[in-house]
Amino acid sequence: MKKKILVVDDEVSLTHMIRRGLEAKGNYLVMEENSGRRAITAARSFRPDIVLLDVMMPDLDGGSVAAIFAEDDDLKHIPIVFLTAIVTKEETQPTGSVIGRHTFMAKPVNLDDLLTCIEDHLGAGR
Amino acid sequence: MNVIDSFVENWGNLRGGAAAIAIIAIAAFIASLGLLVHWTGGTAFAWLHLMYLPIVLSAALFRIPGGIAAALAAGLVIGPFMPLYVLEEIPQQTSNWMIRTGLFLLIGTFTGIIFTWLTAQFDSLKKAHEELSQSHIELRSAQMELIQAAKLESIGRLAAGVAHEVKNPLAIIQLGVNFLDTTLSCDQDLKEVLDEMDRAVKRADYIVKGLVDFSRSDELELKTQNLNPIIENALNLVGHELRKGQVTLETRLDTFISPVAADRNKIQQVFINLFMNAVQAMEGGGKLTVTTAQKELSRNDIALFSAMKQPFSVGSSAVMVEITDTGHGIPENKLDKLFDPFFTTKPVGKGTGLGLSISRKIIELHDAMIDIRNREEGGVVVKLLFKTNQGSAS
Ligand SMILES: Nc1ncnc2c1ncn2[C@@H]1O[C@H](COP(=O)(O)OP(=O)(O)OP(=O)(O)O)[C@@H](O)[C@H]1O
Ligand SMILES: [Mg+2]
Repeated sequence: MKKKILVVDDEVSLTHMIRRGLEAKGNYLVMEENSGRRAITAARSFRPDIVLLDVMMPDLDGGSVAAIFAEDDDLKHIPIVFLTAIVTKEETQPTGSVIGRHTFMAKPVNLDDLLTCIEDHLGAGR
Repeated sequence: MNVIDSFVENWGNLRGGAAAIAIIAIAAFIASLGLLVHWTGGTAFAWLHLMYLPIVLSAALFRIPGGIAAALAAGLVIGPFMPLYVLEEIPQQTSNWMIRTGLFLLIGTFTGIIFTWLTAQFDSLKKAHEELSQSHIELRSAQMELIQAAKLESIGRLAAGVAHEVKNPLAIIQLGVNFLDTTLSCDQDLKEVLDEMDRAVKRADYIVKGLVDFSRSDELELKTQNLNPIIENALNLVGHELRKGQVTLETRLDTFISPVAADRNKIQQVFINLFMNAVQAMEGGGKLTVTTAQKELSRNDIALFSAMKQPFSVGSSAVMVEITDTGHGIPENKLDKLFDPFFTTKPVGKGTGLGLSISRKIIELHDAMIDIRNREEGGVVVKLLFKTNQGSAS
């Protein structure tokens, strides 16, 4: 079965681009969501294997989304990768670094690095 | 020449040789007027009116004492020392010589008073002028510092915002390029174009990183530590660039320098910036010299650094770091722009022009000082002054 990835970012073109890239490179089913609030309902119905989450979003920021995930029994096991501009490449590995409980990747991300990061998490989850 | 110069410069305040020459000249003038009258047997008596000239001159040069002395000398010449036959030929003068001497004294004293007053006025004007131009210079540099500070602050805020906003579009392009690369990998031309685009994104990302560094440079994690290892580490990090640029390295790090309160990463960033600037200024090779030394600050040491707030006082101890290169130096008219954000002379893609403005901000947050100037032998010397921890804390 295809692994499911939920991509959340208020920038529509960015989620488009991530979906295209991921679907072209790997055997994934990708869902895009462009608001923090809607990401939570989307996650409940879509049941992703991993979430790529932006931090700065206008309605509900990534940190709060992650906090809501952590309190929800259905969602708390889902790994979250933050794709964010607030960290720099010097502070994180190209393929993401674990800071606290989550993984952070610095924007702009490279598709190959993103795939490696996702595979790391999905592999570990199996 | 010297006497004339000091005469002109200190006309109201003669000393030494100049004073002696003036006194002799005035005395000679008075005496020769007396002799003139003497030799002409009194017929040139009218010339005695010229006597006022040396009196006024003497009063101008030596004030009231000068005026009085010259008046008395003139009085003696036309009085007791005037040969009697002269006085007999012009009898009315005989009874008048006391009056004449009195007039001389009056004029001498009066001129002396006037010149005392004038020079006082002149001196206070001169002093006011000096003070004014000094405070003008200070004001200007304070104003420059303020402009600089305001510029840096607003740029810092702007930078954080811009950096964040630019990263999303960059991410889109990056992923788009990666996507196209996967799907179109068969075509060689397209692949080259995509590589080109990939590099452009990396470059833009690098600049944005500079902006982020810049906007973040005001949070310090201070720890008391020795600067030498930080410098050595920074040198290691640029080691490759040094070799590539055929730059020889000389380090003279004083092992006995006191520790300073420093944010290791930020200070290292400063050194890397400075080393890279030096390397980039030495195209075709050169020599980089880095020294550290413990200093008891003299007035001259401090005067080297032009900062609005002077965190250092004479006699306090500090660590001085000097970074010297043998590069092309800095054109004089660019010296005051060095620390401006985005000021660079390097080709597009080579420099962001943020290196020194970030460095200066970091240095000022450390209560340290930085000075950059050309060396007479060519190249540039960068001096950094850090407060040592002695006295404060522990
Ligand atoms: N050691 C030096 N010798 C000669 N010129 C220098 C030296 N250091 C700095 N400069 C001049 O000052 C300018 C500004 O330096 P700064 O470090 O701020 O920016 P940059 O080096 O151009 O770019 P960046 O540091 O972002 O790569 C340089 O472009 C260069 O012209
Ligand atoms: Mg530089």
